[in-house]
Amino acid sequence: MLRVAASRAQPSAAYLKKANAALPAVSTTPHISDAQRQQLDSALRVDQAGEIAANYIYMGQMFVLRRDPAMKPLVQEMWEQEKKHLEVMDKLQLQHRVRPTLLSDVAKVAGFGLGAATAMMGKEAAMACTEAVETVIGEHYDDQLREMESLPSDHPSVPLLREVIREFRDDELEHLDIAVEHDAQRAPAHALLSSIIGAGCKVAIELCKRV
Amino acid sequence: MPPTTSQLLRLALPLIPQYGFTRTALSRSILHLKSENDTHSEPLSDTAVSALFGTGDRARKTLINAWLDAGLESMNAAERPATSVGDALHARLRYNEPVLEHLPEAFALLSVPDSTVSPYPLDPLPALQHSARIADEACYLSGDQSLRLSWYARRAALMGVYGAAELHQLTSPSSAHAFLDNLLETSKAIESSVSSVGQFSEYVVRSWAGIARSRGLL
Repeated sequence: MLRVAASRAQPSAAYLKKANAALPAVSTTPHISDAQRQQLDSALRVDQAGEIAANYIYMGQMFVLRRDPAMKPLVQEMWEQEKKHLEVMDKLQLQHRVRPTLLSDVAKVAGFGLGAATAMMGKEAAMACTEAVETVIGEHYDDQLREMESLPSDHPSVPLLREVIREFRDDELEHLDIAVEHDAQRAPAHALLSSIIGAGCKVAIELCKRV
Repeated sequence: MPPTTSQLLRLALPLIPQYGFTRTALSRSILHLKSENDTHSEPLSDTAVSALFGTGDRARKTLINAWLDAGLESMNAAERPATSVGDALHARLRYNEPVLEHLPEAFALLSVPDSTVSPYPLDPLPALQHSARIADEACYLSGDQSLRLSWYARRAALMGVYGAAELHQLTSPSSAHAFLDNLLETSKAIESSVSSVGQFSEYVVRSWAGIARSRGLL
């Protein structure tokens, strides 16, 4: 499945090439109204916090499943993608002068705890955790894409930002598919587990928008 | 076309050294308007100032805020990207110099809440926001790359440094720049000792982990 991700267009590569660092699309921020600025601020703050948490969820899963030959490469590959997402989000934070969340350490601890705890319940529960988290994150990126329609497209950073969010949404939805393919829905108390994790993610999103 | 509020505010800024942060500065701004078909020989009436910029002291606060906004732009005076945090903060202190005698009153006015029903006699938020915006701008101009909690630590340190230097400037303008340099040096020394404490504790944790591993506990 991840091979598909590699073959898709990757607009985020613009942020990862050193040669591009001075391009206006990756180094300047548009002049927008205060309300739009606030919206962009909270959107990028929550995205960055989400990527931090996602990294630590995979780190927690890896910590428990590192000796499982079937799961290790799968989790590792998804983790690598999340590392790239976080690197790009860090660059977006600096580019658009966004205040990062104060809860980054909370996100790290909660993410690691969630990843490790579900992995200890079994690999199905670990995949159910991935499924629940990626569902909420995928929907969240989708909502953001709609909100970003109001930003002025004539500034080079805005179309690129939309492309990057679209790419990340597709990556997250691929992780969701992988989790389902690997028996996420056979986890014990799957419905309960996913609704608890999904609700937790939604609360975290609202918190990180503000703090 | 009649001049816009922001145009008049810009024209009022050079009048601050002479008239202070007053409604007079705002009303006389129009005398400096240079447009092809509009020449004004009379200052704006008091009613016009109230309508454009707010009643009573609100108009003065509008002028102070416009002056503070222009102050952020002044920090970029040195050419980028060579601007260091120190250059940016020095530039901002220099921006204060022509209006220094009016500043204590301006800051006092900013800290009086707008609403008369406010439960607090003083509002410290505008003063904090003022130094926070300057600290953030200095970080941005110097190409600061700090992330997460170090983003906050860096700005909080610069807020303290700039706030202290500005207070010093109000009482002793001649030594303010040397005082700022001194504070920046001290904050650098604190930063490096904090990071060495961090490094030291990392070594301690690693050595304990090593001991635990050798005893078969991990």
